[in-house]
Amino acid sequence: MSGKTIRVATDVGGTFTDLVCFETDHDTGESKITTAKSDTTPPNFEQGVLNVLEKARVDPKSVDFLAHGTTVVINALTERKGVKVGLITTEGFRDSLEIARGNRPDFFNLHYVKPEPFVPRYLRRELPGRFSYQGEEMKPLDLSSLPAILDDFRADGVEAIAVCFLHSYANPSHEQATVAEIKRLWPEISTVASHQITREWREYERTNTTVMSAYVQPTAERYLSRLNDGLSAKGFDGNLFIMQSNCGVDSLDSVKKIPITMVESGPASGFWGAAELGKLIGETNVLALDIGGTTAKCSLIEDGKVRIMTDYWIERDRTSAGYPIMVPVVDLVEIGNGGGSIAWVDDFGKLHVGPKSAGAMPGPAAYGRGGTNATTTDANLWLGRINRDYFCGGSVVADMAATEKALSDVGGRLGVSPEDVARGIIRIANNNMVNALKLVSLNRGHDPRDFTLVAFGGGGAMHAVALGQELGVKKVVIPAGASVFSAWGMMMSDLRRDYFVTKLADLNAGSAQIVESLFAETEALAASQFSEEGVDKAKVKFLRYGKFRYQNQEHTTEVLIEGAITDESLAAIETAFHETYEREYTYRLDAPVELVGIHLVASAEVGKLKMQERPLGTTPASAALKGERQVDYALEGIHAAQIYDGEKLEPGMKFAGPAVIEDPGTTIVIHPGNRVEIDGFGNIHIHLKA
Amino acid sequence: MTTASHDPITLEIIQNSLQATADEMFAAMRKTAMSSIIYEVLDMGTGITDAKGQLASSGAGIPGFIGVLDKSVKVLLEKFSKPGQIEPGDVFITNDPYYGGVTHLNDLVVCMPVFAGDRLIAWTANIAHNSDVGGKSPGSLSADATEIFQEGLRLPAIKMISRGEAIPGIFDIITVNSRMPDFLEGDLWAAIASVRIGAKRLAELAEKYTVETFEAAMVSFMDHGEKIALAELAKLPHGTFELSEEQDDGRIFNVKVTISDTEFVIDLRDNPDQDAGPSNAGHDDTLVSMQVIFKALTDPTSPANEGSFRPLKVLTREGSCFHAKEPAAVGFYYEIGIRGYDLVWRCLAPHMPEKLPAGHFSSIAGTFIGGIHPDTGRQYTIIEPQIGGWGASAGRDGNSAIFSGVHGETYNCPAEISEARNGLFVDRMELNTDPGGEGKWTGGQGIRLDYRIRRDDSFLTLGYTRSRILPWSLDGGSEGSANYALVMRKDGSSERYAFASGIRVDKDDVIRVITGAGGGLGNPKERDPAKVAEDVRNGLISAERAQEVYGYRGE
Repeated sequence: MSGKTIRVATDVGGTFTDLVCFETDHDTGESKITTAKSDTTPPNFEQGVLNVLEKARVDPKSVDFLAHGTTVVINALTERKGVKVGLITTEGFRDSLEIARGNRPDFFNLHYVKPEPFVPRYLRRELPGRFSYQGEEMKPLDLSSLPAILDDFRADGVEAIAVCFLHSYANPSHEQATVAEIKRLWPEISTVASHQITREWREYERTNTTVMSAYVQPTAERYLSRLNDGLSAKGFDGNLFIMQSNCGVDSLDSVKKIPITMVESGPASGFWGAAELGKLIGETNVLALDIGGTTAKCSLIEDGKVRIMTDYWIERDRTSAGYPIMVPVVDLVEIGNGGGSIAWVDDFGKLHVGPKSAGAMPGPAAYGRGGTNATTTDANLWLGRINRDYFCGGSVVADMAATEKALSDVGGRLGVSPEDVARGIIRIANNNMVNALKLVSLNRGHDPRDFTLVAFGGGGAMHAVALGQELGVKKVVIPAGASVFSAWGMMMSDLRRDYFVTKLADLNAGSAQIVESLFAETEALAASQFSEEGVDKAKVKFLRYGKFRYQNQEHTTEVLIEGAITDESLAAIETAFHETYEREYTYRLDAPVELVGIHLVASAEVGKLKMQERPLGTTPASAALKGERQVDYALEGIHAAQIYDGEKLEPGMKFAGPAVIEDPGTTIVIHPGNRVEIDGFGNIHIHLKA
Repeated sequence: MTTASHDPITLEIIQNSLQATADEMFAAMRKTAMSSIIYEVLDMGTGITDAKGQLASSGAGIPGFIGVLDKSVKVLLEKFSKPGQIEPGDVFITNDPYYGGVTHLNDLVVCMPVFAGDRLIAWTANIAHNSDVGGKSPGSLSADATEIFQEGLRLPAIKMISRGEAIPGIFDIITVNSRMPDFLEGDLWAAIASVRIGAKRLAELAEKYTVETFEAAMVSFMDHGEKIALAELAKLPHGTFELSEEQDDGRIFNVKVTISDTEFVIDLRDNPDQDAGPSNAGHDDTLVSMQVIFKALTDPTSPANEGSFRPLKVLTREGSCFHAKEPAAVGFYYEIGIRGYDLVWRCLAPHMPEKLPAGHFSSIAGTFIGGIHPDTGRQYTIIEPQIGGWGASAGRDGNSAIFSGVHGETYNCPAEISEARNGLFVDRMELNTDPGGEGKWTGGQGIRLDYRIRRDDSFLTLGYTRSRILPWSLDGGSEGSANYALVMRKDGSSERYAFASGIRVDKDDVIRVITGAGGGLGNPKERDPAKVAEDVRNGLISAERAQEVYGYRGE
């Protein structure tokens, strides 16, 4: 026994591959944290992972738990770097993928361009066979034309096949038979059927999901295999887990089968981290905010639970219908506002911030790499919120002349000073982010006063207090190590799978049996899948959610169901639905309630990190004080702020704003009237003005 | 942060919040509505006006609903003009185009005044298509209606909630007049929830920034809209443009458009008298249709408000089909609206090729199918607009299978949901590859959609235009193809329809909906041979026809 456990999280991003290593001493419970960064190495991304392990001097042999997050899937989709896909679907429906939903979000624009399907028409083929919506076979499956279809696919260089039939969510047997026959006729082709990914209705969404899964599957599978081989070659024999979009991790083998579930795994780990942090500090209602260079993302956590949905779209905005991917993804709102967002003035003299970003190259003007646009970061620097002498943790000399020039250019167009431009940028950026935070809270019937704002990512802490004050949250918490918070979240993740199954049922006597057995069947399926991967059945925990609506409605409201479903417990479930519904929508109806489907969460702990709380000390905060400077708080005026060294803050320290905490990864802006406390885990609690 | 300050950033923040509020109202309505025409098709809109009923912001799925709500509020202000007639907590309703309802009786408009203390500062409003508001036919739309009285219950701008309390009897009158009272009641409450949420947000905004600043933000927002419109107007070719166009029913529609630096005048006075049937639009609705094409020409990207439309003048003649007089029937107003919209588009297209593509299938193609669901025994009604092909533009083929120009963020109904909800079978939903829309750049494809009826004594009502007079082409391209429906009887016979109501359909009859291709642009012989080969490979055109039209000689 080494007396310690080594957990590593690696994250492959567009530019860098990051590593965070927690080495936990079994005797003291204390963890030593190491971080490292190396270049991402497309197309052989696994090489970057091996490089960063070496750079951090982490011996793969010694690693017990390795969690891995990757943007390989989302990048393959957005950069159109997947494989050629052939689609097999129900007779009469080969054009579903192209017809899509027919919507024109940019509705005044007569030159709207509809998103192009990922499979051209000649590679979309049909087979006879039909189920009813209740899953009864109306027309048997006829596979006689399949060999000819596969011959065509071979001749056309198809590398993956997607199979999606109408009503397969209710009865997958035609899809199963088709996949089996494809495997017999063409064993080496990569194949995926819709029921393997989702059991929910809406044929366009399900077909597109299946197609996109097929599109990325060979690439992702190859990547995951090479990663596994590369680690094994270096002696790694611990557990390798892959971060998923549903805030859980999953085994490599399972992810290889359906890699599309990784699509939004990047933000998921941070939001899971926020949920876990909330539990740790006794604040289970959390508004989580992640501000990066290009975007800000937020999500709401209620009672310690993240909200998982299957209404996820890529490339969807006010000008494009985008593409649906019906897999479990943490419910989040993302906007184009980050540290690198560019401020600009339109033809009519109005100031805007984002969604265009200066990116890493050239970056904000202050980077001195030729950037001429004023960004949010430039505004923060100009107002003294970011220390111009400690820019990027002291690693970059802030080019204040370039910042001044960029702000003056914008100011010239508006007829105001650089100070006013900088304040305007901050206020507009904050307003954009507040509106995003409202979308996940107020707009869904949640009162921000019941929530704690947890902010992380490079820019989260800079704006968090202003946003929290605007929303009226209880308090703001900046986690210890806010810049590596996502990696921490990965270490805290459970092995987790979300099962969504569409099933219509009225809530009357006799239906309890139907619903109970659907849950029981799904739980049995989950348990057997977990045990195939060596997870003890006894360790698997389930959460049951019902998706309910008033009869005739379409959209559903999820209600957590405790215990077995019996005819007697239906009344309580119905009451819970009415309450949840009324909170969200301000009214309730005296109408019959129906079940539209279930959402089962199956999870098991797989060696997650245990945090050690340190006792609160008595050292005064002045020990961490490193100076004072003038900071412009926009509407709250200019104040002399105390500057604290984040690395010297200790549990139990207390002080008040106006202040700024600086550590190498992030800058925390404390407004006048705020009170600050450091807790036993090193998290920074900021109490807002009453 | 409560001092009155009119700095531009604060105004900008309030304006963003107005947009966010209209969007929030829209989302709330969408999620709680009971009729698929609302939650799936999104035949609905939300809006915010200032105290005088001028449009400040809108959240809409449909451009044709953007400019409706302000007109309703203006009528309410006129009708309830005495002190104390409009109070905090009140909610009003109208659906009658002769009383501020703008469109037709199915569209219930719900409006709520917003107060800061006792000062009226704004209105929130919501419009949505309800499944059945009574009248002579199920779904309330009948192609043979001759008076508005036959089209359902008329709500002539009335108060339904007074100081937060429902006025006894009003809801009863509304629901008892519907064949689908549960749907109607659910949808109506969804609309009320939506205006209430909006009103709460606006009151919070005014409290936070002061009423003066809040009001200044609305004024500056509208002035900004006007500035943009005028700037774009200056870039359009100036002059007077005219067009006469024959319609499916043989009538001739005429338009004259005069564009100057300051005005965009659409003269629709020289048009036929109002129809004896329901193909009439009220004046306000004609104005809305013209606003849609005006916005597309001047500024398709920024949100619309009162100011965006200030340079627009629309002239109509009372008693004509574009300005129907009470009690003309107006059920199919929207086909008249889109004809007027397309008329202006076609009139100007040759003069502004970079702004305007060739003609699209250009019909709402409203399709209504109803009966008893064979599995549940409950009444169902499908109410859906159709998707079709759009016209080519210079340098690009038209889109296939999207909604018409007056629809927008509208969604078609998935076959899987339609079968469960409506108790019929969807045998196919595919691109319509019949000839039409060829050119150097091609029009997009329409669709072919088959509904197989599962129970006797069901009905079909429909109203399609561009069924005989086809989508127009540009520069030598081919015209698009027709919109129509076939009823293919179990016995093998078949009937073609474009405008009819209450057609009986029985078990195993198939209703085939066909929508047209958009118009082509340019000589087909000049089409890139590689593109022609791709079309042939994708089965969009046969090799023989490709040879005939494009001179295709195989790959």
